[in-house]
Amino acid sequence: MSGKGVGRSHSSTTSGGSVSRRQLLASGAAVGGTAALGGCLGSREDGLTVGFALPFTGTYALLGESIVDGFELYLDQRDGEVNGEEVELVRRDTEADTNKGVDVTRELLIKERADAIVGPVSSAVAMAMIQPIETESSAIWFNANAGDYRITAEGCPEYHFRTSFNDWQTSAPLARFVYEEIADNVCLAYADYAFGQNSKEFFKEAFEELGGEVVDEVGAPLGTDDFSPYLGDIQDSGAEAVYSFFAGGDAVNYVNAFSSFGLDEEMTQTGSGFLLANDTLPAQGASALGMYSLLHYTTTHDSDRNRTFVENYEQLHGGSPNVYACQGYDSAQAFVDAVEETGGTDPDEMVDSLVEMEFDSPRGQFRFNPDTHEPIHNMYVREVVESDDGESVENEVIDTLEEVEGPAWGCSN
Amino acid sequence: MIESVLRATLLGLQLGMTLALIAAGLTLIFGMLDVINFAHGALYMLGAYFGTVVAGQLGSFWLALVLAPLMVGLVGAAIEIFSLRPLYDRNPLYHILLTFGVAIMIQGAIIEIWGAQSMQIPVPDLLSGSVSVGPVNYPVYWLFVLAVSTLLIAVVWLAIERSDLGILMRASAHDTEMVSALGIDVSKVFTGVFVFGAVLAGVAGVLLGGSRSVHPGMGFGIIIETFIVVVIGGLGSFRGAVYAALLIGLVTAYGALIAPTLTDLFLFAMMAIVLMAKPSGLFGATEAA
Repeated sequence: MSGKGVGRSHSSTTSGGSVSRRQLLASGAAVGGTAALGGCLGSREDGLTVGFALPFTGTYALLGESIVDGFELYLDQRDGEVNGEEVELVRRDTEADTNKGVDVTRELLIKERADAIVGPVSSAVAMAMIQPIETESSAIWFNANAGDYRITAEGCPEYHFRTSFNDWQTSAPLARFVYEEIADNVCLAYADYAFGQNSKEFFKEAFEELGGEVVDEVGAPLGTDDFSPYLGDIQDSGAEAVYSFFAGGDAVNYVNAFSSFGLDEEMTQTGSGFLLANDTLPAQGASALGMYSLLHYTTTHDSDRNRTFVENYEQLHGGSPNVYACQGYDSAQAFVDAVEETGGTDPDEMVDSLVEMEFDSPRGQFRFNPDTHEPIHNMYVREVVESDDGESVENEVIDTLEEVEGPAWGCSN
Repeated sequence: MIESVLRATLLGLQLGMTLALIAAGLTLIFGMLDVINFAHGALYMLGAYFGTVVAGQLGSFWLALVLAPLMVGLVGAAIEIFSLRPLYDRNPLYHILLTFGVAIMIQGAIIEIWGAQSMQIPVPDLLSGSVSVGPVNYPVYWLFVLAVSTLLIAVVWLAIERSDLGILMRASAHDTEMVSALGIDVSKVFTGVFVFGAVLAGVAGVLLGGSRSVHPGMGFGIIIETFIVVVIGGLGSFRGAVYAALLIGLVTAYGALIAPTLTDLFLFAMMAIVLMAKPSGLFGATEAA
């Protein structure tokens, strides 16, 4: 891995919030980094600053790193410069903790004078970041992962731009596919916390609207290791299909248990894309074959734009990009475009530019809803198939839902 | 309904026996070394990661099941000899801080080496699929885990109760000075016990690594359950750890049937009740010398 062209190295910044500026600068200097040095001498007039408020330690560390890797890739393609100005990247670890998230956001806004904040991963942290960012109104907030719809629904924050997705988009649009192609009755199985509950509610609403029936709902606590008791309930529901929201380790445990118990022979498994994602499929393996899911980015998506993205990413970082890397990449695209178009970093001018912006993302065409600042992008229905070498499994896009937008959540301009 | 209960019972027994493997080491180490080993969950996690590597590199689950626990044993030996030994005569707080630090270091090393994403140990074809147990289908692998861990616990039990080595272990715990005076190198016994506990945790890691996701948080996840087991069973009591592990396993499994979100609460409530009614644990008074 090389951080060339961008002032940062991959050496882990594990000491959390105390990842000192000196440490960061030292590592930047070590890889021949550039931008950071000017900043440390006190003159902050030159150059652009992007602050990452992301988890770099703990369960979500992988997501945080991937977002930064994606962001870096885009900057790297621009030689680390926008409008002839260097871009300094400042990483702060939220530790996926609400209080910590607010602290680092304030620090990035006030002390580092960030022009943009990228992050966070956790929706709870995002909810807490709304207030400091809106109050300061000095930076644009590129929400590169936190998908809870309430971040928008509760107050329509002005400087918040979701470069990722919202939980409505990864659940409700799949209802039509399930209803038309798979079954008119489902059992819902979900991780019993805010995001899981939102997802299953959105799916349920859409599925019932189409005339489908939800036979049973089974919630399992976050971090469940053994799903067998829940699988019993799912099986007893007698539904022909299951719609699930699980992610990370839960998704691995759930999918493997689902197949071990032979439920895959009785019912069709569907779910949000996080159920069958790049970071879970290697561990799920053959258990995941034939399962359907919905997501806005798929590494194997067959388009020239995406192939180029994947190649470049592999060259810079080694390893294929996941959905989080794509979200980081698009955050960089949106930021750079807005700076170039407005010729500066005035946040209000950037907002005006962003709401009209449309760009070419590895996921397809991307633009923001001018009222909600939510993404309008394609969603992809994928099926897990054997990869060409026959050794592993991968997602194959089987249907594209174009320009998926979602509700307005009461926001208007 | 009967199906659900049967499934939950099988799961509860399997959970219980694997927990017993981990708790056995924790309780033996406490019983003999007077050390509360916070790094025990990390050793279990190392077992799962070593298992993933061995199974991936050599292509054999069976080799992983043998080699990975031995590798964990080596790590255990290093921890005991280089970090714990100098601290034995200090306040127990030092042991807790030290082993907690070791646990964090192991977790950090795992994230550096293998990354934060979930992995899993591939299960051999022989053990994949499911079979009918009465009216329910149950995965072959889960039954295998139940069988292997039960067998191991039985062997360990016999060894502690009957073998010369077991007698030596118990004697060292009971009266270190006397055993030492008899010409036996007690520090070797201590290292042996620590390594033995580490190996058992490693076995549990490999076994569960085939049915659960292997990730850097699993060590801290399991240590809490294991502590509840050891506290309920009685600190230092092997027998207590086994019974308590079965109890916790079954409560977890049935709890998931009745009130999934309250299961953890049940466990902590049980621990609180035991601590109030019998602070030495269910089997603590008889064995903890």
